[in-house]
Amino acid sequence: MVEVKLHDIGEGMTEGEIVNYLVKVGDRVSTDQPLVEVLTDKMTAELPSPCAGTVRKIIVEPGETVQVGTSLIYIESDGDHELVSETKTLNNSVAATIDQGIEGIERIANPFKRVLAAPYTRKLARDNNIDIAEVPATDLSGRVTEEDVLRFIKKNREVNDIDEQRVQIKEETPDEIPFRGIRKEIAKKMMKSLFTIPHVTHFDEANMTNLFEMREDMKKAGDAISVPAFFIKALTISLKEFPIFNAELDEENNRIVLKKNYHIGFATETKNGLLVPVIHDADKKSIKEIHHELIELSEKAVTGKLSLAEMQNSTFSMSNVGPLGSTGATPIINYPETALISFHKTKKRPIVNDQDEIVIGHIMTLSMSFDHRVADGSTAVSFTNRFINLIEHPYQLLLEMI
Amino acid sequence: MVVGEISQERDLVIIGGGPGGYSAAIRAAQLGLSATLIEQSQLGGVCLNEGCIPSKVFTHAAGKLAEKPHLQDLGISGIDMEFNINQLLAYKTKIIKRLRTGIEKLCKENKIELIYGKATFLDENRIGVENGHQFDIFTCKNTIIATGSSPVMPLEVTIRSTRILLAHEIFNLPEIPDDLLVMGNDYIALEVASCFAALGSHVTIFIENQSGLPFDESINKELLRLFKKRKVSLINKVKLLSTAETEDGITLTVQSDKNREETFAGSYLYVSGERMPNIETTGIARFGIHQNDQGFIKVDENMESSIKSIYAIGDVTEGPRLAAKAIKQGKAAVEVISGGKPEVDLTFLPTIVHTLPPIASVGITEQDVKEHGIDARICEFPMRSNGYAAITANSEGFIKVISDTNTSIVLGIHMIGEGAVELSSSFVQLLEMAAKEEDMKFPSYAHPSYGEGLFEAVEGLVGQAIHMAPID
Repeated sequence: MVEVKLHDIGEGMTEGEIVNYLVKVGDRVSTDQPLVEVLTDKMTAELPSPCAGTVRKIIVEPGETVQVGTSLIYIESDGDHELVSETKTLNNSVAATIDQGIEGIERIANPFKRVLAAPYTRKLARDNNIDIAEVPATDLSGRVTEEDVLRFIKKNREVNDIDEQRVQIKEETPDEIPFRGIRKEIAKKMMKSLFTIPHVTHFDEANMTNLFEMREDMKKAGDAISVPAFFIKALTISLKEFPIFNAELDEENNRIVLKKNYHIGFATETKNGLLVPVIHDADKKSIKEIHHELIELSEKAVTGKLSLAEMQNSTFSMSNVGPLGSTGATPIINYPETALISFHKTKKRPIVNDQDEIVIGHIMTLSMSFDHRVADGSTAVSFTNRFINLIEHPYQLLLEMI
Repeated sequence: MVVGEISQERDLVIIGGGPGGYSAAIRAAQLGLSATLIEQSQLGGVCLNEGCIPSKVFTHAAGKLAEKPHLQDLGISGIDMEFNINQLLAYKTKIIKRLRTGIEKLCKENKIELIYGKATFLDENRIGVENGHQFDIFTCKNTIIATGSSPVMPLEVTIRSTRILLAHEIFNLPEIPDDLLVMGNDYIALEVASCFAALGSHVTIFIENQSGLPFDESINKELLRLFKKRKVSLINKVKLLSTAETEDGITLTVQSDKNREETFAGSYLYVSGERMPNIETTGIARFGIHQNDQGFIKVDENMESSIKSIYAIGDVTEGPRLAAKAIKQGKAAVEVISGGKPEVDLTFLPTIVHTLPPIASVGITEQDVKEHGIDARICEFPMRSNGYAAITANSEGFIKVISDTNTSIVLGIHMIGEGAVELSSSFVQLLEMAAKEEDMKFPSYAHPSYGEGLFEAVEGLVGQAIHMAPID
């Protein structure tokens, strides 16, 4: 038997949650075939089979969180195969002769009306209201085992179920979504954030017209740069001026840690749920670099290939829900960060320009949540003002180039 | 007597503080029930005060005394090893008191309400307890009758004499009788015969011809051989005719198997008598509880009597009169009351006799094998081939294992020999687990030990015992 254990698949991970088994007991597996999906922090990984063989036993239930080193699956490797087939034949012959076997036992007059089962097995039967004498033994000797009783219980239950179905109006069973994996992880983080941080959210809007024109020009010149890349650049510039939003409250030591790295997390929708990959040191990267990294990380997020490192250490997060719609939200801060900004849908709206003319403007709304323990409303407004100013006058971004 | 009309409510009242009753009370406390235990005399019942425990003090002393020649072999001599019966009686009293105090302490620690007095059913769920001038009435949700049994003289014993002793009397006798007549085939009679012979009496034992001894035939044979070896006279008795008291003893006239009237004289006569249920004083019979012909209470598999919520356990019910049975039933009854699903299966209740050497017997005997035509393997491993028995000079006896030829499931284990009582724990375990020969051969057994005899007996079933000559 080969034991498959949960091993360290990330950087120094200590535990993981068993999301799903990709094989079941009795399945044939080949070397490196994925066996089980494991979730660590926010990364899902698959453990491959160390050998070719047959899955004999699955030990840990899906949904359980286990420590590194815990055995998950037993595989009977092909080395043991001869033994397996031998057992199989034996089982078959036993099954075929069960009835005979029991008759054989009956034939021997038993002056003591003895029960051929261990006390625990008898208790198991009793506790399930089963007369042990009715349980057929797989053992030729008539000795009833725990497995025999369990099989008998299962069979009885199936029979009862069928009976019940006959008389009962079929009750529609609600669909169930297992609450585990990424979904559970999200829930945990959201609870923590919302219960720890006194959130304040303020709303504002930005005229995207100039940025859109600039993007059009760039596109014609051959560089299609996504809007979020500009956002991230503008955010790093604003954060440097308002470092209180690139901070973490360290309550234990009574201090606010102003971080010198600008790692911007961006919320990404995947079929499994929300993930937040991180553009590390965004302040040291060009808009173009940021753009390419955004594409790469989003793809990884959607395909579940993000590494743990790619989701860690963000200092500030943004959520670009604009492409999906919406005009406002009260986003929950990515704990333990201080603030988070959401960008909503950009819509054409009549605006009054500097010449007091009514013109069409591309207006985007944004929502910024911040930790009121750390910062106050005026600072937050100043911060978003600076950010809006950069986005409305994108050429200013040039001034910030090193 | 003042009859109080105020009735007190109780969840569970147990009548009788013998091993069954007090075990039930403690288990009840463990299961969260509040239990009231009523004892009219002394905690521990017949077992502790006048049965198993006193007889074991005597058999233990007899065993030690019988070791005298062996101790000299070991170089232990020169000690004054005179036997003093008064010293032994004092020791017996001390042990009984110590054990009884232990039970009292356990009851206290388990917050069991212990009431001394005589309990009588006033109706099906009301019990009056009389103690001197006090009379309390309890209304009980559940009652367990654990009043035990008492010996009665056989009808043939028409005279009442201080020279005729029942079990609780012989272990109080302040002398070792010169000539002791023993009548009975049960374990106490055998223990009395065996230990008084070792303590210095000349013993004559009268064995019922028809029922014989209750063990496997090989055990019976070996026991009788050892009795003879120890100068115990054996009389196959067909019928007891009469008893008569003489100036310094008693005479017993029986019809022997040679169809002759024979008279035997002795200083004392021990009679096991017949044990009858202690039921009359409880007054439960008035409420129509189902009893068998002899008066024993009939109970179902949950120890419940024919009257709802009245349970009965131990000697007062049908079946063997053994403390092990009472303890098992007591715990089971309480488990039923607290909503559990226990089971009492006495199939493998071992028969234990503390003779010299002791006997432990459980499961199917060779007689059963013959009678029911069971296709069985049988092996008897002699203790003289066991190394540890040789060291300790206990090479008498054997271990006999009977297994089913077709399934190799062990059917019975019987032993006469030193260590049998302790080894019986293994016997019952193996039988309850429905062990097969391999299950017994597989473990490693301590070497040297008496237990090796068990495993060699199993190996011997297929001619593979190392310390047995090959069978041709």
